[in-house]
Amino acid sequence: MNIEHSAGGVGIDEPRGLRDVRRFSHEAMATVYEVYSAHADAGYSAQAAQATFDLVDRLERELSRFLPNSDITRINHLEPGESTRVSPSTLECLAIARHMFDLTGGAFDVSIGSGLPSLDLDVENSIVGATTRGVRVDLGGIGKGYAVDLMAELLEEWGVHRSLVHGGFSSVLALDPPPDHDGWPLTLSDPGASSRVLARLSSRQTALGASGVRKGDHIVDPRTHDPVRGRRAAWVAVPRPPESARGGSDQHHRAAAATVTDALTTACMLLSLDEIEALCSATPGLEAWILEDTELVHF
Amino acid sequence: MATDHDDKGHPNADGASREPRKLDRRDVLKGLSTVPALGLFGYAWKKQREYQQAKAEEVAASTQAPADLQVINVALLGAGAQGQVLTDSMLRITGLRFRAVCDIWTEYNQKRVVNSLKRFKHEPNAYEDYREMLDKEKELDAVIIATPDFWHAQHTIDCLKAGKHVYCEKEMSTTLEGARSMVAAQRETNKLLQIGHQRRSNPRYLHCYNKILQEAKMLGRIVTVYGQWNRGVTPDLGAPERYVIPDARLKQYGFKDMHQFRNWRWYRGKGGGPIVDLGSHQIDIYGWFLGANPSGVMASGGNLYYDPKTHEWYDTVLAVFDYDTPLGPAKGYYSTQTTNGSQGYFENFMGDQGTLLISESEVNYAGQLYRDPNAPAWDEWVQKGYVSAPKEQETKAKSESTAIADVRESVAPDQHTVPVTLRDPYHQPHLQNFFDAVRGKAKLNCPADEAYQTAVAVLKVNEAIEARTRLAFKPEDFKPRMNTDQHG
Repeated sequence: MNIEHSAGGVGIDEPRGLRDVRRFSHEAMATVYEVYSAHADAGYSAQAAQATFDLVDRLERELSRFLPNSDITRINHLEPGESTRVSPSTLECLAIARHMFDLTGGAFDVSIGSGLPSLDLDVENSIVGATTRGVRVDLGGIGKGYAVDLMAELLEEWGVHRSLVHGGFSSVLALDPPPDHDGWPLTLSDPGASSRVLARLSSRQTALGASGVRKGDHIVDPRTHDPVRGRRAAWVAVPRPPESARGGSDQHHRAAAATVTDALTTACMLLSLDEIEALCSATPGLEAWILEDTELVHF
Repeated sequence: MATDHDDKGHPNADGASREPRKLDRRDVLKGLSTVPALGLFGYAWKKQREYQQAKAEEVAASTQAPADLQVINVALLGAGAQGQVLTDSMLRITGLRFRAVCDIWTEYNQKRVVNSLKRFKHEPNAYEDYREMLDKEKELDAVIIATPDFWHAQHTIDCLKAGKHVYCEKEMSTTLEGARSMVAAQRETNKLLQIGHQRRSNPRYLHCYNKILQEAKMLGRIVTVYGQWNRGVTPDLGAPERYVIPDARLKQYGFKDMHQFRNWRWYRGKGGGPIVDLGSHQIDIYGWFLGANPSGVMASGGNLYYDPKTHEWYDTVLAVFDYDTPLGPAKGYYSTQTTNGSQGYFENFMGDQGTLLISESEVNYAGQLYRDPNAPAWDEWVQKGYVSAPKEQETKAKSESTAIADVRESVAPDQHTVPVTLRDPYHQPHLQNFFDAVRGKAKLNCPADEAYQTAVAVLKVNEAIEARTRLAFKPEDFKPRMNTDQHG
C-alpha cells in the first residue's frame, strides 16, 4: 500500500492562541514527533518530552524496516520455518496489526499483501515465525500510532496530563486540554491544499488519524491489487479509554486508541462508505471523515 | 469475522487470503462493538494467545533451547536505561532464567523491568540492596551489572566473591584503583569478568580486525586515526514527580539528590563525563586495531555550555594519543562534544594504503573502505568476500563524462564496503559471548585485564585536560599491579 500519511492534514488550529503551551520536537521514523505540553513547569515538560523521544528512538530501532538490525528486518529475512525473538513492543504491534487485518477484512495489511497470515506470533515467548517465503512486513501504517500511544502513557506517568502528542500530524493523540479550553483545537485540511480547512474539532482524550493521497498518486487495495480511485483522504477519531478502564500497569490492557486509529485510517481509504458507516455505528465514539473528490462525508 | 481465519483464528490452509473480500456488515457489527479500541490490546493479545495455543508445540519445537543447553540463572544489578537495553537483548538469548532484579529506584525502573520480565514467564525477585540479593539468591550463576560507574568496582568484586560470573558495563570504574581491584578479584576467584565494550563482539568489527587488518593488511601502515562522537543538546534527565526516591535512600547509596542520581555521568566521582561515556567505546577500538596501548596523551576540554554546578565534567573534549604500533608510530585523534550532533559517531583508520571508516551503527558509517590508488590491488580480498566490489565514485564518473579532469582535487579512491551486517540488537553478541563463555564454549571477547588497558588510556584524558600538558604512559601502567591484600 502506498498511502502518504502526511498528506491528509491534521493541524493545530492557531497554535499561537494557546497560551503557555510548549512544543518539543524530535525527528524519528522519517517524520517529526512532537509533544505539546501545557504543564506549568517548562523544564519538567522538556524532561518528560525527552523521555518520550528516547522511547520513540527505541521503538524505531525495533520497528523500522529500514534498519538492518531491527526486529522487522529480521522478520523480513526469515526463511519458511525459521523464527526470531522480537521485543515485546514489536510483538504487541504485530498482534494489534493482525487483529486489525481481521477486523477490516484485509483492508489493513502491514504485510504489503505478502503474508501477515503467514506469520506465527508466539506471544508467550515473543517469537515470530514465518511459514512461507517472502514475508514483507511494513509497520508504516500502524507504528506511528503505536509510538504515540506509548508516548502518551509515559506523559501520564510523568503527570503531564494537559498535553497532545503526534507523529507527523498523521497520528495525533489529544490528552487533557490546556487550561481554559474544552479540547485541543484541531483542523482537518485538504491534502491537496492545506490552507483549505474542511473541519474544525475540539478534542480531548481522543486519537485522530489521517491518511491521504496527493494529486496524481494512487493507492492499491491489498485485497484486490487494484488501484483505488476517487478517495483522497480519510480521518478517523477514536476516544481513548479512561485511565480507570485500563488496568493500571497491566500492559495487556494498554489503551491503543492511536494505534487502532492509525490502522483504521489506512483501511478507510479502501472500505466502502457502507462499510465505514457500519463500523462507526457499531462502535460508540468512533468517527470518520472521508474526502471523496471534493465532498467531505462525516460518519 | 469475514476473514480467512476460522473461528479460532487459524488461517485456512489453502492460502486463500489473497482473494478479494468484502467486509460483511454483521461481522463489522460483531467485531468492533465487542472490541472497541478501549482496551483493544487486551483483546488482541487474548485472541492471539488462543490462536497460538494450537500452534504452541510446533513453534516450541523449532525454537526451544536444546535439552542439553545449560540454563543460566541471571540477575540484573542496575535497571536503568542501560540495564533495560541489556535486558532487552538478553530476552532474545536462549537458555537464560532471570532470578532477580536489583535497583534502588524501586518505585520506577525496578518495577518496569520486573514487569517486563514477568511477561516472558521469568519470575525475578526484586531487591533494593544487592547484598541482600547475593545473600538470598543462592542459585545465581551470573550477574549483569549496569549501575553507575562509581559502584562498578564494589558490585563486581562482591558478586565475584559470592561465586558469580559477572558482565559489568564499561567504564570499569571511576578510578584505576577500582579497576585494578576488579581485575584482582577476577583472578582471585577465577570467575569470568566481561566488560561491556560491546564492539569487541560485533561481527563487523571482528571481521575488520581478523580479516581486513590482521590477514589482508589492507590499510598498510595505519598512521592516523580520527574518531568522534557528537551529540546534540538534550535536557538533563528527569524523573516523574510521583516516583521520586526519598532523600534518605539516595544518600544511603551515594547520591546527593535526584538530579545527581539521574545525571550521575556528569558528576565527578560518580561518572567520567562524555569522554568516558562515549569515548571509551571508541578509544578501546583504537588500541585493539592498532595493536598497541598509547605512550602519551594531550587533551583539551572544557565545560563550555552546560551549568557547571550540575555538569562537573567537560562537555567538549579533544584528545590526541601517541601510539608505538608494531608497524611504527601513530596518532589517534578523538573528539567528543555534546552540543551538536553533526556527523554522529565513527572511527576512521587511515593507513598508507587505504582507509577504513567504521561505526557501530548499522545505518551510518557501517564499514566503508577506500583503497589508495597506488596500493596493491584488492582483487583477492574482493574474491574472498572480505570486502565488496568497488563502487565507482561519483566524481570519477563525472570527470569521465565531461572528459575534463578536475585538477583541484585528487582522484577519489574506490569505495568498498564491509560485507558484514549485524541483524541483532547492538549488545546481543557481546552478551551471547559472555553466556557462551559461562557454558565453557567460548573465550571472553573483553576480559577484565584487556578492558583495564582501555580504562588506563581513557581515564588519563580527564587528567591531561587538567594538567594542561602531555602525560606519558609507561608500558607497565597497563598491567594492573596485583595487591591482593587491599581487599583481603
